[in-house]
Amino acid sequence: METRAKATFPGGVHPPEGKQYSQDRPIEVVPTPKQVTVLLSQHLGAPCKALVNKKDAVKAGQKIGSSDAFVSAAIHSPVDGTVKDIVLAPHPVLGRTMGVVIDTAPQSEPKKPCADKFDLKFSPEQWPTEKICQAIKEAGIVGMGGAGFPARVKIEPNPAMPKEVLIVNGCECEPFLTCDYRMMLEWTWQILAGIRLAAKASDVEKVRIGIEDNKPEAIEIFSQAIQSCTDLDIQVVPVKTKYPQGGERQLIQAIWNKTVPTNNIPPTIGVVVINVATAAAIAEAVVLGQPLTHRVVSVTGRAIAKPGNYYCPVGMSVQEVINHCGGLNESAAKVVMGGPMMGFAIADLSTPLTKTSGGLTFLTRAEVTEAKFKHQQTACIRCGRCLSACPENLNPTRIAHAVKHNNLDLAQQYFMSGCIECGACSYVCPAHIELTGYIKTGKLLVARTKKKA
Amino acid sequence: MLSKITVSPAPHISQPLSTRRVMLDVIIGLAFPVAAALWFFRQYAEIVLVASVASCLVGEWICNWIRKKPNSLGDLSAVVTGIILALSLPPMAPWWVAVIGGLFAMMIVKMPFGGLGYNIFNPAMASRVFLTACFGVLMTTWTVPATMKDEGLKIVSASNTQAVTQATTLGWSKMILKGQKDAAEINPLIKLSFLGDEGGCLGETSALAILLGGLYMLIRKTITWRIPFAVLISAAVVAAIGWLIKPAAYVSPVIHIVGGGMMLCAFFIATDPVTSPLTVKGEWIFGVGVGVLIMLIRLLGEYPEGVMYAVLIMNALTPLIDRFCRLIPAGGKPQCPIV
Repeated sequence: METRAKATFPGGVHPPEGKQYSQDRPIEVVPTPKQVTVLLSQHLGAPCKALVNKKDAVKAGQKIGSSDAFVSAAIHSPVDGTVKDIVLAPHPVLGRTMGVVIDTAPQSEPKKPCADKFDLKFSPEQWPTEKICQAIKEAGIVGMGGAGFPARVKIEPNPAMPKEVLIVNGCECEPFLTCDYRMMLEWTWQILAGIRLAAKASDVEKVRIGIEDNKPEAIEIFSQAIQSCTDLDIQVVPVKTKYPQGGERQLIQAIWNKTVPTNNIPPTIGVVVINVATAAAIAEAVVLGQPLTHRVVSVTGRAIAKPGNYYCPVGMSVQEVINHCGGLNESAAKVVMGGPMMGFAIADLSTPLTKTSGGLTFLTRAEVTEAKFKHQQTACIRCGRCLSACPENLNPTRIAHAVKHNNLDLAQQYFMSGCIECGACSYVCPAHIELTGYIKTGKLLVARTKKKA
Repeated sequence: MLSKITVSPAPHISQPLSTRRVMLDVIIGLAFPVAAALWFFRQYAEIVLVASVASCLVGEWICNWIRKKPNSLGDLSAVVTGIILALSLPPMAPWWVAVIGGLFAMMIVKMPFGGLGYNIFNPAMASRVFLTACFGVLMTTWTVPATMKDEGLKIVSASNTQAVTQATTLGWSKMILKGQKDAAEINPLIKLSFLGDEGGCLGETSALAILLGGLYMLIRKTITWRIPFAVLISAAVVAAIGWLIKPAAYVSPVIHIVGGGMMLCAFFIATDPVTSPLTVKGEWIFGVGVGVLIMLIRLLGEYPEGVMYAVLIMNALTPLIDRFCRLIPAGGKPQCPIV
């Protein structure tokens, strides 16, 4: 196998990995909650419209939201039950959006993972490309690594941008989270089946699976498994453990040694990147016809009693997850949906899980650090640490200060739109300036001005 | 439970590093030249150091008090300025000169611009220029170190072995340039100059101590290697050119590197993050600029030493350097700027 050992990208940071809380906990099915709130906007793109009405009975897997927009993904009910209401519900990122509240039918059994339905004999032959794309669309699959980009848009063949390689993202560079790692160990064949289906649908000959070298077991198990795929140029590429190695632009740089042009998406250079969780969902959707209604969530951090990896229905509230995991302990200071680098801190524990919630991180005051806890930001001393940490070679302090002083033109001259919001700059800043926060604000302000114009 | 939970933008963890810790690392680095100063100049060094640091702290406190701003002494940057100022003063400088210098550095150069992070000029260097302008003789009278033995005295002052003051190596170099001395007399002083057993400013004499302090800061990643490297190499190149052309008139480049404020400047003064450029390219330009300017002043100018002027000139150019050294994003310049 010819791979460059320790492939990586310039810049980046080394936050504490924090994987020890949950990495050895097998995926566990949680009991069906009494009520779920399925948000109608769980992806990048147009929000869905509800297809059901109040008091309608719904079945598990029934489509309850959809949109005609091209960039969008359908929403399905994870449980059997009745629609209680369609209301504004707390959203981890967007504040409040519409959501379908479903009362679960009594005594409904929780859905189980279906990894046992796949083995090394799987072959994608019997599914033609259109059928795979159709199934992915119907199942409402989105990029489950965090961005939530509708998977169909990525994978569908596009004559304008022929694809050359499929890169599978098994880096899980986000500290604390272990859901992808556990899936790679436990659902190996299902993920591989999904990869093969995606490769067929995208019409690529080459597949590269990038895994950070702090997960030797996952690298080993996949290196073994891919030997069953003799018809495909498929390789496992161990990459250096560094944050944000799992950012798609950084992963492409490391594995394929190509740079995605600023403000462009990987398909422009013939690359498609999918997360391992997305691959597993694709296999489930195409082979078993099941929509994306459940996902593995890493519940982790020092402030939760029973950390682990849980197979949860989308729409389950954070409070229910906490209850199932033995509650928070006294030192809890922050509840983060996602990991500590890119996740969103939530204030309302009734916030439901979405398709992109790979983790719930419960941080203690000591982990958050005193300065961050008290929001103490001191003056920039121009030390340049953010510049050397930035994986996109931007000047975070200049952009952030331009935004702070409401000079969006200047921020754009410093290529604000090229920011991937990984948080490396804020992580290294000795003055604890919320650089990433300012840059995100700046992008929102620019988007808002454009909308008005 | 909920009342204790906070929200903020991502990321939610941060490196265990603060401005205070960065400054503390600089102070630990400075501890080496400070120890050398105390060893070579004893009570003189004590008086100047205490007066300078104390006046910097008082100066910053007064400015915060006048502006009704929260106390910022805790970030330790005033201590750093105080130490660097003291190390750049002559050992016999009276305590009130150090006090005036400290107050000037804080109340004129640093705080009126907005305090830490906003000052354009290096406070210690600007203050030293001010002191040189005000107290020319005091600022150029050099005491021999308390440790100096007779044989050393013989070299530096052949006519009078009991001398308490002497010219610095750079002062001698200037005399050579004017034809009053021969370069061959000076070049053997390299070893004394490296260890610090010579006349000069408090912290500048021992190149060894400064190297150790600089090494500590490099290991702690408080500074990058680029600025010190650029300063020293560019200065050495300019010095070597002069030396190769006319060895009788220009002393060896090694003397220029270990003599005077060159080392202190390369590791502790030019590396001040606030007044040096942000980008890698900018750091190179800044470092080379400082190194070349120091040597031009030393070789062609009227003054024997040019560190403070070179640093201030490059400080003034820093915003311009930053503007010209824009970073290009990893993905290249975007085709359409706004997407």
